Amino acid sequence: MFAGGARRACGKGKIFQHARVFGASTPLPRSAFLLLAGWLWLVRTVWAHEPDLTQVWKNLADSQNTTAQAMLASLPPDGSRARLLATAVVQMAHQPVTEEMLRSAEADLVVVAQGDDEVAALAGYLRARLYQVHFQKTDYTRAAELYRELARRQPQNHWARLGLMKLGLLTLFALPEPAEPVARLRAVEALLPAIAEPALQRDLNLQLGRAAVLYERPVEETLVYLKAVDRVGGLVGLVAEDLVSQLGELSLRAGRPADAKVYFQRFLRDFPTNNRSFNVEQKLARIAEREHAAGQGGGP
Amino acid sequence: MNFGRREKIGLGFFLLCYLTAVYWVWTRSSPLIRERPVTIRIAHWQIEAGPPDGIDAIIRRYEALHPRVKVEQQLIPGIVYKQWLRSNLAGGTGADIIEWGPWIEGVRDVPARYFEPITAALALPNPYNGGTPLEGVPWQQTFKDGLGGQRTDSPDPGEIFGVTLCEVSVRLFCNRELLREVTGSTRIPQTFDDMRRIFGQLDAYNLRSGRQPVMALAGAKDNNEWLQEYLLMGVTMGLNFTLDDPGSLFLANRQILAAYLEGRWNFRRPEVKAGFELMREIGRHMKPGFQQLSRDEATREFMHGDALFIFTGTWDATSLRRLASFTIDALRFPQPTKDDPVVGRYTIGRFADGGGVTAMAMHLNKASPHKAETLDFMRFMTSMQGSQLFTDGSGWLPATLGVKIPPEIVSFLSPQDGYALCQPYSIIGSNATMQFSRNMHLLTGEHGSVDKFTAALDEVMPEAVRSDLQSELRSLLMTIRTQDGRTIAHAQLSGAAVAGRNHAVLREVMECGETISEATALQMRCQLEQTAPTK
Repeated sequence: MFAGGARRACGKGKIFQHARVFGASTPLPRSAFLLLAGWLWLVRTVWAHEPDLTQVWKNLADSQNTTAQAMLASLPPDGSRARLLATAVVQMAHQPVTEEMLRSAEADLVVVAQGDDEVAALAGYLRARLYQVHFQKTDYTRAAELYRELARRQPQNHWARLGLMKLGLLTLFALPEPAEPVARLRAVEALLPAIAEPALQRDLNLQLGRAAVLYERPVEETLVYLKAVDRVGGLVGLVAEDLVSQLGELSLRAGRPADAKVYFQRFLRDFPTNNRSFNVEQKLARIAEREHAAGQGGGP
Repeated sequence: MNFGRREKIGLGFFLLCYLTAVYWVWTRSSPLIRERPVTIRIAHWQIEAGPPDGIDAIIRRYEALHPRVKVEQQLIPGIVYKQWLRSNLAGGTGADIIEWGPWIEGVRDVPARYFEPITAALALPNPYNGGTPLEGVPWQQTFKDGLGGQRTDSPDPGEIFGVTLCEVSVRLFCNRELLREVTGSTRIPQTFDDMRRIFGQLDAYNLRSGRQPVMALAGAKDNNEWLQEYLLMGVTMGLNFTLDDPGSLFLANRQILAAYLEGRWNFRRPEVKAGFELMREIGRHMKPGFQQLSRDEATREFMHGDALFIFTGTWDATSLRRLASFTIDALRFPQPTKDDPVVGRYTIGRFADGGGVTAMAMHLNKASPHKAETLDFMRFMTSMQGSQLFTDGSGWLPATLGVKIPPEIVSFLSPQDGYALCQPYSIIGSNATMQFSRNMHLLTGEHGSVDKFTAALDEVMPEAVRSDLQSELRSLLMTIRTQDGRTIAHAQLSGAAVAGRNHAVLREVMECGETISEATALQMRCQLEQTAPTK
């Protein structure tokens, strides 16, 4: 009876030709099939996590580059610039990366960079990064050009400002011009107003301080940069510890023991378990000895 | 549509079964993935007596708390660790948690390639410290040194890759009964001069005892190197402070390497040569041919009563105490003072003997399929509870604050009463270490001398040091390259919701860290170019 009924129903719709289940010769009645299909669609809608670009970014953020790449490949092409940007980033993150892949990523980035939105700025920034760190043979001059171009096009954008900061690094340590260390420092100082964001200005001031030490500039000059870093704050980890001990030690070298004392005491308070503590305590002991000697001498 | 009775029953039965199955899946087996059993693996080379027991204790407790997670401990002998590490990580079969140290030759690039930075997780409290004095304290600050060693060893100055399990120091372990036999008392040496006196008394003892000569120090390549590193670091401390241009009161290996290439120090410096002189003096109190022997041989020599002392790290303490048939005292090695005839004029004061820096660093494998569970186990392992289990089971000092120290290992604790600035010159890079070790016979051998040793080092070190600095630069660049994708991804995921705000913070932290790394890399490149040998 069941088979006969089904056969009759079968003649009423083409869909039934495909509705045989479990290899049996008995087709399901149309309503049952539709019910089942509808149910499955509902289940799929509720449970299925269609990969989208967000999932791709999540995997990239989690260093799961291969998964991100597979997920991106499974997405239907939509021709969007956001998709193209993700493709370029996945190519850059792929291991092992080849020069050819990086060139292909650059071609994508050139396309994405056409515009004046966030995605365009990101693409412009990444293109400069390719020349600065990713290509087998780095080209700092080209990277600097691209950072400048981005800052000219979108001066208010974060990625343009970050690019200016990277330009500052290249100017301090890598570009052939300006050749004189002092001119390098001044050229980079001139970038600070355009960078505008305090955190980025802080990071560049930190590197100005590093360069001032490398180029053997007077201690006072280094202290100006480091104090600017300290005013912004927000550094974490080893860098924060380095900064406070540097401020203390350089103040001492600059002949300002009172300032040094304040920084060293702050170091011991903020980083009590640091294994530099003994070094700092010895510095403080020496300052105390000098203070004591000056006090006994009766003079200032 | 005409249904017969049987068809209706059949269809009804089919739908009932289906709905029951759906109900079951949605209500009884949900959430599907989170509840599935997983196995995570932890691999390390600490196969001495103690640590495997400590880790076993942690695993047992963790598995009791989380029955669906099984943790396997993989003990890899140190002799094959490097090969095991490289081949398993390259093959994608590495354990979820892996021990690594920067001193292992030829694997400096591993963290950048294969380990996941855990900086963000370390900024949050460790939930397993709930109800303890460390509740609410950021995970990183629950370690005795705030993971200072991990931050120093990180290929990226802005990121931390590992968490530590123990604190180590170096100690002079003494056979108390033998000391009484040799010196007539159990008075332990307080100064370096006391040590010299005991060396003299031992010569006399050997003459009168008629037995196989007892050596002052158990000898092996490893033990000799540890002692030499210790002595050399003390003698060169003053010189090191002169290299600290930035005033950080700390020097990274790359700074020492660059300073060498810039000609600011070399192995002919009087301080360094004085250090070598002291090393040669000490080497004479180990048995001939010790350079060919491994640390196991030194342990055996000490255990047989053929050596009065053994200089080693507290990592050997549990093995020594469990195996010895005599009383062992763990002493702080008496340091040469300013009146020492050999090195006194270069000594600036007491130097650190290991305290305050934590070790046995465990890293999260980037390719781990169970990162959440693995990170959770790492949190438990380094919590107060986990660390207490480790300490009690291993006899090693804990890395975590607030853990009760068993009385028998209290003497391993080193107060922070000495200068600590950098690594000794003998271990500033893979190639430098290798050359130091390869030429050691020219210093400690029967026909060796300080001049022969320094002449040999002068020959090979410029190239070795350059190669080490280049290797540091390569590792740093490799890390920077991987950062770009992650930074952009965090930027794309940033938003107003809580998760989005977290991504925004991570982006900012990563940008800051990347800038510091890049500046470091550019400075190293600058230094390499400026000191390049003329063709």
